[in-house]
Amino acid sequence: MNLTLVFQSMFSGIMMGSVFALLGIGFSLVWGVMKVINISHAAFGLLAAFMSYTLLNVWGIDPILSIAVSVPLLFLAACVIYRFLIAPLTKARDIIVPSMILTFGIAIILENLMLLIWSPDPRLLTTAYTSKVVILGPFYFQYPRIAGFLLACAGVVVIHMFLKKTYTGKAVRAAWQQRDAAQLYGVNLRWISMITFGLAVSSAAAGGVGMALLYSFEPHTHNLWLIYLFLVVIVGGVGSVLGAALAGLTIGIITGLSMAFLPYQWVNLLTFALLMIILIFRPQGLFQSEV
Amino acid sequence: MLVVEDLEVRYQELRALQGVSLRVAEGDLVALIGSNGAGKTTMLNAISGLIPAASGRISWRGNSLVGLSPDRVCMAGVVQVPEGRKLFPKMTVEENLEMGAYLPAARKHLAESRKAVFEIFPLLAEREKQLAGSLSGGEQQMVALARAIMAKPGLLLLDEPSLGLAPVIAAEIFQVIEGLNRKGITALLISQEVLHSLNIAKYGYVLENGKITIHGKAGQLLDDQRIKESYLGL
Repeated sequence: MNLTLVFQSMFSGIMMGSVFALLGIGFSLVWGVMKVINISHAAFGLLAAFMSYTLLNVWGIDPILSIAVSVPLLFLAACVIYRFLIAPLTKARDIIVPSMILTFGIAIILENLMLLIWSPDPRLLTTAYTSKVVILGPFYFQYPRIAGFLLACAGVVVIHMFLKKTYTGKAVRAAWQQRDAAQLYGVNLRWISMITFGLAVSSAAAGGVGMALLYSFEPHTHNLWLIYLFLVVIVGGVGSVLGAALAGLTIGIITGLSMAFLPYQWVNLLTFALLMIILIFRPQGLFQSEV
Repeated sequence: MLVVEDLEVRYQELRALQGVSLRVAEGDLVALIGSNGAGKTTMLNAISGLIPAASGRISWRGNSLVGLSPDRVCMAGVVQVPEGRKLFPKMTVEENLEMGAYLPAARKHLAESRKAVFEIFPLLAEREKQLAGSLSGGEQQMVALARAIMAKPGLLLLDEPSLGLAPVIAAEIFQVIEGLNRKGITALLISQEVLHSLNIAKYGYVLENGKITIHGKAGQLLDDQRIKESYLGL
């Protein structure tokens, strides 16, 4: 076996996986702490990718910079959606299924909105550095992958620090560990839920741009991304930021290696066989929730 | 002063509280006694805004608490130490204390409150970096009380603070509660340990099947034949 190829595909896998992680963290967080399975999570990511596409092609703004536009915009949109669509739902005793149906509807609306604005053609984020590579010894790294990797690392660190170091982040964790006690000590549950949902959707926006740096996309692509989201949650454990990060990396490395050594049609088979094995032996995920 | 008048709470058809009236004067420690299922916890949760009152009035220092969400009740200075402690198990002791001082008014005094708390519970200073869920029952109860002190309460609502603790530790917890009351914190205390709580309380109420049946000065209640038979086993 060619060792250079092994390492090369592992590095590629890590870079892909880091972006899966960023895309998946918010999904996992909202599922774990709010019991909302946000089917539209990836669709918001895709919307951010299309926004980057337009900003790049109309004004020449770099995709990484365009996050400064899409993240705050989607944060606000998510807060409004939480306030008027999801908050009324939280009065129900069990909100997992209703929330899935509701957010499935939101995903369909977003998908058709994107079809309307950007048409069904596949798109690529083609920047000046798209075809550039860094060569280190026997290894080469494509610029867009490096950009996606750095973006993902920054995103994961920011979310982690927010939850661990800021008062609002601590209130998010407190509210989901012990709902009553958090309220008794002054945490406004509706406010904190809104922040959590907004934060998750913003991270999806950053993750979506990261995905767009690696792969081509069209308005239906979020359905495929959604499968990776479920993978991240199942491997990483529901509600865990670090778990999601490690899960993303694990999935990335497995995909990267299998892409290099297996015929293409076997890649997904292997990934999902692995998923089934994890579900059988570690149904709670490989990592523990620390939120 | 905490004033509760004709408070009624329903769980669907069940009338958990049937017109309960009670007063806790500024600076007093009042004990609320009753058997399991009498409605004591319901009473505290109604005051804290965790469950809605069907009818009646609740006010603290002249301001009505009826209809306020729990975070607003906390903002008004009414702080509950809930039954079973309800700590944030995956947060450190330090973070639990910080969450006690979550509201801006309390957060301003974070540093001095921490110092005060560690003076009362020196053990917690050693446990600061440990996860609250990993502590023993007694230590967890100390964290629960410490968290409440961090909130700078005007009125402390204590729900079974000694439940499941070894007698020595339970006695220590009661001592701390008495000490807090001496420092001017008004308190309403629920406890199965009737003798203990009436010993440190100024006034007592007995809640039975959602109604107040007996009330009076703590000393009188300790001599009351009905209380001796039903609650003290004498």
